[in-house]
Amino acid sequence: MLKVEGLQKRFGGVAALRGVGFHLPRRAILGVIGMNGSGKTTMLNCINGIYQPDSGSIRLDGKEIGGLPVHTIARRGIGRTFQVPRVFSHLSLLDNLDVAQGQMGLSAAERYEASSYWLNKVQLFGLRHNFAEELSGGQQKLLELARIMVAKPKVILLDEPFAGVNPGLAQLLIAIIAELPREHDCSVVLVSHDLTSIYQLSGHVIVLNEGTLLCEGDANTVRNDPAVIEAYLGA
Amino acid sequence: MQSADHAAAVEASRRQDEGGERLRARMAAAFFAAVIAALALVPVLTGNTSFAFYLMLWITMASALNIVVGFTGYLPFGYVVFYGVGAYAAGICYKVLGWPIPLALVASGVAGICLALLLAPTLRLKGVYFGIVSLALATIMRLIIANLPSDITGGSMGLILSSSNNPFASYYAMLLVMAATLLSVLWLAQSALGKALKAIRDDDGAAACIGIDVPRTRLVAWLLAALFPALAGGVEAWHTNIIDPEYAFHVLITAKSIVYAMAGGFGTIIGPVVGAAVLLGIDHVIWQKFPLINLLLLGLVIIALMLFLPRGIVGTVLKRRPQLRRFIA
Repeated sequence: MLKVEGLQKRFGGVAALRGVGFHLPRRAILGVIGMNGSGKTTMLNCINGIYQPDSGSIRLDGKEIGGLPVHTIARRGIGRTFQVPRVFSHLSLLDNLDVAQGQMGLSAAERYEASSYWLNKVQLFGLRHNFAEELSGGQQKLLELARIMVAKPKVILLDEPFAGVNPGLAQLLIAIIAELPREHDCSVVLVSHDLTSIYQLSGHVIVLNEGTLLCEGDANTVRNDPAVIEAYLGA
Repeated sequence: MQSADHAAAVEASRRQDEGGERLRARMAAAFFAAVIAALALVPVLTGNTSFAFYLMLWITMASALNIVVGFTGYLPFGYVVFYGVGAYAAGICYKVLGWPIPLALVASGVAGICLALLLAPTLRLKGVYFGIVSLALATIMRLIIANLPSDITGGSMGLILSSSNNPFASYYAMLLVMAATLLSVLWLAQSALGKALKAIRDDDGAAACIGIDVPRTRLVAWLLAALFPALAGGVEAWHTNIIDPEYAFHVLITAKSIVYAMAGGFGTIIGPVVGAAVLLGIDHVIWQKFPLINLLLLGLVIIALMLFLPRGIVGTVLKRRPQLRRFIA
């Protein structure tokens, strides 16, 4: 599905990514952990085209997407959320989802059906006429997730989806993310500092440290890896 | 059975929501139709068309500016350049090339579009950088036109189109340009393109992440926003019969367009029309009652508007009374 190899990105003298790679199979959830500045968000930015990687390969279904414009990568099927939610503040919730389906050639009725499905799923349908700016931060994260899901992506990149979200909404997010691969034929790259959620949701976890891949494996392997304990968990 | 119930519920809410959207569009269309009809009757009912002509001009300028500011978030301080180039294109085609007025007006629109295409690379800039570059380009354009051979542009003295004088026809030409501008804004607000532009305005990075081709979409708005002021410039040149570089590229034209649109509410459909009508009306009254301090008083009115209605008249009403969003766009 998504294969990243030897990804490198420098900002001036700082090497943010130094040959990172992973393979994300279809309908899988990949957890990504690492300390602040370890390159997690930079990696997502390279995958979805916000940054042009200096070198390396990013293949989606066998086709190279590295270096393509952001909108082209999105149309190829990669959706993305952000650490701080980036909703369209002055559009209604319905329009936030409607505009995300603008490139799909659907009828208004089809777009509405998908929008109402996802707004119901994230429990925001009752607020559908409100401006997105009127939602709480946690609700905006849910809206952002719904906005990428209406476009039926193949892969979604979730950047700290639980940060700043109250426990109730976080549980809702966890439940929705858990069922995405099975119910919506979608693979997930999940970046989070919330280790409990990462271990709970991800079949495979990679640990980044100073732009390199420190360790990878299932939750147990990562949890017990001495290098990870020393560099990241600190206990 | 349950899924059939759910489908029926979705269909019912879709119809209700689409009905709401249609209602808003119809209310805006009715408002525009009333404005157009009232302005169409002015020459029939009164001999004094000056106020109405300039009201149409400023509604056109403010509404067209709303396309680029309200729908994309770009504020071109040199917006007057399209108006000026439109005026000169019409003047040169009529006076120098001997084209009939209708063709000269078409040329003014084409000139505006061509200039917008030429300036399109500046759309890569953001915020104040874009604004300042567009202001600089407007100044450069004024200097170029003022320094071209005087048998083409009239040099610093400009052009006089005395033989074209037809206030009645030029009045209705401006009405046509204003109506086309309002219809375009109305269409844009309902269209997928309009929603994409508003998404870009709110967050261009996030818009790209959902598959919107940001530069291309912005360009469409930019071209639309250039076409109407260029046409308005051409029609005004015909109406007044005089074009000079100082007035045609005066920064006050940009400033007034911004203030009128802002007073009504950027991003709303009817806001710039309301803003232009209210402020032009106040300006008119102040000018008549207090001719010596009219600019001071107008400035105070604008400051008060910005302080107490920062989203403009329509924008603030919609913010404070969300229930009215069902009727007003």
